[in-house]
Formats: sequence, structure tokens, C-alpha cells
Amino acid sequence: MKDVIVYVEHRGGQTRKVTFEMATQARALADALGGKAHAVILGGGAQRLAAQLAAYPIDIVHVSEDSDVDAFLLDPVVDYVAAVAGSTGPALLLVPNTLSGRDVAGRLSARLKAGLAADVTEFHVENGAVACTAPKMGGALVTTCTIRPADYGIATVRPNAFEAQTGGAGAQVEAIEKPAGKQYVAKIERDVEEGAGELALEEAPVVVAGGRGLGGPEPFDTMLKPLARALGGAVGASRAAADAGWVPYSLQIGQTGKTVTPNLYIGIGISGAIQHKVGMRSAGTIVAINKDGSAAIGEFSDLLVVGDAFAIVPELTKLLESANASS
Amino acid sequence: AEKRLDPQTKHLVRTGVETVLNPYDEYALEAALQLRERAPGSTVTVFSMGPEALKETLRKALAMGADEAVFLSDPALAGSDVWTTSLAMSRALSKIGFDLLIVGGLTDDGSTGAVPGSLAEHLQVPCVTNARKAEITDNRLSVERETDTGYQTVDVALPALLTTALTFGEPRYASLKGIMGAKKKTIAALSTADLALEAPVGAAGSKVAIESFAPPPARGRGRVVEAADGAAGAAAIFEFLREKRLA
Ligand SMILES: Cc1cc2nc3c(=O)[nH]c(=O)nc-3n(C[C@H](O)[C@H](O)[C@H](O)COP(=O)(O)OP(=O)(O)OC[C@H]3O[C@@H](n4cnc5c(N)ncnc54)[C@H](O)[C@@H]3O)c2cc1C
Ligand SMILES: Nc1ncnc2c1ncn2[C@@H]1O[C@H](COP(=O)(O)O)[C@@H](O)[C@H]1O
Repeated sequence: MKDVIVYVEHRGGQTRKVTFEMATQARALADALGGKAHAVILGGGAQRLAAQLAAYPIDIVHVSEDSDVDAFLLDPVVDYVAAVAGSTGPALLLVPNTLSGRDVAGRLSARLKAGLAADVTEFHVENGAVACTAPKMGGALVTTCTIRPADYGIATVRPNAFEAQTGGAGAQVEAIEKPAGKQYVAKIERDVEEGAGELALEEAPVVVAGGRGLGGPEPFDTMLKPLARALGGAVGASRAAADAGWVPYSLQIGQTGKTVTPNLYIGIGISGAIQHKVGMRSAGTIVAINKDGSAAIGEFSDLLVVGDAFAIVPELTKLLESANASS
Repeated sequence: AEKRLDPQTKHLVRTGVETVLNPYDEYALEAALQLRERAPGSTVTVFSMGPEALKETLRKALAMGADEAVFLSDPALAGSDVWTTSLAMSRALSKIGFDLLIVGGLTDDGSTGAVPGSLAEHLQVPCVTNARKAEITDNRLSVERETDTGYQTVDVALPALLTTALTFGEPRYASLKGIMGAKKKTIAALSTADLALEAPVGAAGSKVAIESFAPPPARGRGRVVEAADGAAGAAAIFEFLREKRLA
């Protein structure tokens, strides 16, 4: 395993932020392994996105604007990435740990007979082998595993776990040849973007999450969104709030929702059930607002403010907005 | 169920613990049962791989309404990673045969989320994930699937692999009749000898080895502030964020 290949995920004309985090890791890993850092960008806009990536330390960006990539479900993506991997020989592939990234990684692991490490938050190279650190069992354990160096390896990378550092010498851009003789069947009939332009929950540096304590859908719009905006973050929720239909399931944090690792998590009207905790326990700083001083969330919060969310949140937003305005 | 790793082998301890269907798999089963109701004459078979004790989990699936169950178990499978898990399961699944294979999105222990894609690749079937709605008409599967930023509709010919999102529908409870019926059913057993495996499985075939594990840094109770009113609560948080350079 020498070369490192970053799979670039993009939606709505924008590269996901985790790409730049992976590119930075790819450089360090390629240097330690004595190989090159590659990136693969596919589909409409690939050329333009490749230019954006030039600010990061990648050696070769492989691109294809093949319209099949956007027309069919992932099969063309898997073929193209496998073709790049085929040209480098046993390499380490970095794929974002997102809904579609997990599909790509799983497909590629069987195709390339690769070892797979999931939800990686730290990499080391020891004697030519890549060691991956990842939280397991909802973060109750932190494990380190190594991938057999003679084989291909795939790591799904947790968004927000690594820093992104610019500093590229300008990558070489290469076109990938269309894999021959492919007939794709899983045609995407309709593709609807809902939260277009909004910061993805897993990638937000700040998460403001609301729970049953908010009593209905309105406070998510009138209280949580303005607070999230003032902090440059995104809104999340507990399952109770999603189950009640107050917010879409895509905002749910926890065992059966998303795992987030923001610098700051603020839980508002959330009791801190274990199934919620496993989705946010790795946040840098945890703040809770709860009217019950004995709520479980207090047991793992850096700050618990005991009081009424409806009184506190608007005041807090005002303080932050005026601080933002004067800075 | 409490989950832990064995300090010696560093494998997930899968014996001697109470096992449950993992939440995503309950949703997958619910989807299968709903689709069966709309396709008279079809049957639902549940399949799993794991140590002997896990067999009882399949009985819960039978109680919920599955028609048949097949269980792949073999000491040689201990210590499987994604590669060997998918390889062994795909061989068992081709032997069982299927029109539609419904898989959970994510386990709550290994949590790689990579098994469904890997299975689809081994089985050479289309892979449609995160379905919130699915219909079968004339041997075709049409799906409305959730994406990170919205949803898509996709239509593929069977056989295919499908994974379900939690929005597909709440898993039903087992009825008393279901529970009684499940007790009488036999669960078919497979071992690695029944599979045409050309590569080693279990720890011997795994490409990933766990080297070490530890609990995460402890996270205790931090500062607690009783807010006299909204302004006081807001000020406490604002000061705290300033101190931490987060605002
Ligand atoms: C298999 C399984 C999977 C699950 N997966 C998840 C998951 O992924 N994510 C998840 O979140 N949950 C999950 N759950 C559910 C979980 O167990 C809890 O039921 C859920 O997290 C509770 O949500 P909550 O904290 O919003 O509600 P509650 O537990 O009802 O807490 C509401 C809190 O709001 C406080 N409050 C009320 N009014 C105010 C006010 N005016 N101001 C301030 N505070 C107020 C209350 O004191 C209370 O602490 C799962 C459960 C199961 C069984
Ligand atoms: N040993 C197993 N037996 C049966 N199904 C499994 C097994 N491991 C994984 N799966 C299926 O694959 C899904 C995703 O698992 P994972 O990729 O480990 O998160 C699960 O929800 C299950 O449906």
C-alpha cells in the first residue's frame, strides 16, 4: 500500500467539506507510505471542482464528466474509482463516512478485495502499515486497527474529525477513460434536493440540537435556527422531535440517526438518553439547556444551564448577534 | 445488549450476551413483511450469521411474521471483518436464493454500514439503499430513497438489494400467535462447509485486525448554573463560550 486515493463527494455543485480534510490526511499518509496522493472527481462540474481542489496538497486529480455518473445510482462511480485504483496497485482509499460514501466504500471493498476500516478519526503509519483509530459501539470504545499492507485498504472518514490545510503545488489533472462495455440499470428517475445550500449536519462546526422540551415544530424555526445562524452552525434534533414530525429524520442525532463531531454542541430540551448520547459524545464542547437539573445530559455536559429554554435561547442569540455585529 | 471486545482476541464478544435484532434490521424486516402483504404468494426468509446463541434472535423475527429462517454459524467465522463477513454471507445467500434481499442500513456494534454495498457487489445485483418507500410491480422494484440532501426515485429489475431508512415504517410487535408459531418452526442451519468458499474466512481471511482498544477519555459532569431568568442563563452560556473561544 503506497498511494492514497481520495473519493470526492459533491452535491449541488459543491464539494463536501470533508474532502479537504481527507486531502490533507492523504498527503501525510502518502508521504509516510512513500507514494502519491490522488483524488477522483466524477460527474457534472468535475473539472471546475478539480480546480478548487488545487489549493490542497494532492498530486493527481482524476476527473470524468461522464453523464452516466449523475444519471445512474453509484454503479458508474464504483467503476471509475476502481479503474483509478487499478492503475495505482494496492492503495489506501479515503471515502467520506456519509450515507452515499458508505455505499461506495462497501461496493469497492468487495470489488478490490480490500480491508475496510469504518468511521476513522485518526491515522498513523507504523512499519508501512496504516493504523486507523475509530470509535466503536456508539463511542463506548475507541479501537485501533491495521489494514493488511499487501492488499487494498479503504477507510471511511468521519467528517469534522480532521483539520483541512491548504498548501498545494497545483495538482496534475488527468481524464479517466470510460470503462468499456458497461450497461447501467439503476437509473435515477427523480433527484430532489431539499436542504440545498445548507450546511450538512455532520460537517457543521457547531450543532444546536432541540428535543421534546421544545414542544412543537415552531421553536426549531423561530429559536434554534437564529441561534445556529449566530454561531455559524446547523440545527439537529433528538429522535423524539423527529418522531413527532417536528423536523425531518435527516436532522436526528444518535444511534439511529447521524453521528456528529462538532467543536460545539448545544442541546436544548434534550434529556440525554444513551441513544442520543452515542451520536454526539465526541463533540469538542457540550452545553445543555434543561429545566431539570437532574437530566442525564448534565452527566456529560461541560456546562449545564438549568432553566427555561424559551427564556434563555432568544437572549443568548441576541448576545451573540450583537457580539458578531461589533467584531 | 451489552457489547464488548475480548481483551485477548480483540474480537467482538458475540456469545454469552443477550442478543437483539439490531434496530435497522427490525425496519428491514418490517419492509419485507409489508411487501409480502402486497405480493400474494411471496415468502419472507430471514437470514443471519453469527455464533449459535444468536440463533434465538431469528426466532424473534419469525415471531414478527417471517416465514422461514436460515442461520449461518461456524467457529471458523469468528473474527470476521467486512470482507470475510460479506464473502461468507453472499455465498450463503446465493445458495438460499432471493428475488429481493433487504438489509439493515447499519449495525449498532460494528457500524461500518459497508456490508450492504459489499454484499450487492459479491452477488452482482443492483444496490438501492435508504429506501423510505418501495413497490414491486411486474418483477421491478421502484424505490423512493433518502439522500443526505433530499430524495431520489429509482427503478430496477429484480433480483436486487435494498436497505431501508427508518422512515419506511415502525417495526410491528410480535403477536402472541406469532410467538407461539415461531416456537414450532425449525431454523435451517448452514456452516462454512456448505458454502463454496475458495478463500479463507473468519480471522484467517480478514484484511483488518484490531490492534488495541480503550474507553474514550472520560467525560464527567461539568459546570452547572441555575439560571434565575433568561438573561442570566444566556449570560452564563455567553461567558462560557467566550472563555472557550467558541464565540
Ligand atoms: C432502538 C432505539 C434507538 C433510538 N435512537 C435514538 C437516536 O438516534 N437519537 C435520539 O435522540 N434518541 C433515540 N432513541 C430515543 C431515546 O431513547 C430518547 O427517547 C430520546 O432521545 C428522547 O428525546 P428528548 O431528549 O428530546 O426527549 P425527553 O427525554 O422527553 O426529554 C425532554 C427534555 O426536555 C426538558 N425540557 C422540557 N421543557 C423544557 C424547557 N421549557 N426548557 C428546557 N428544557 C425543557 C425536560 O426536562 C427533558 O429533560 C432511541 C431509542 C431506541 C429504543
Ligand atoms: N453477521 C451478520 N449477519 C446478518 N446480517 C449482517 C451481519 N453483519 C451485517 N449484517 C447486515 O448488514 C447491515 C449493515 O451492517 P454493518 O455494515 O456492519 O453496519 C446490518 O444491519 C445487517 O442487516
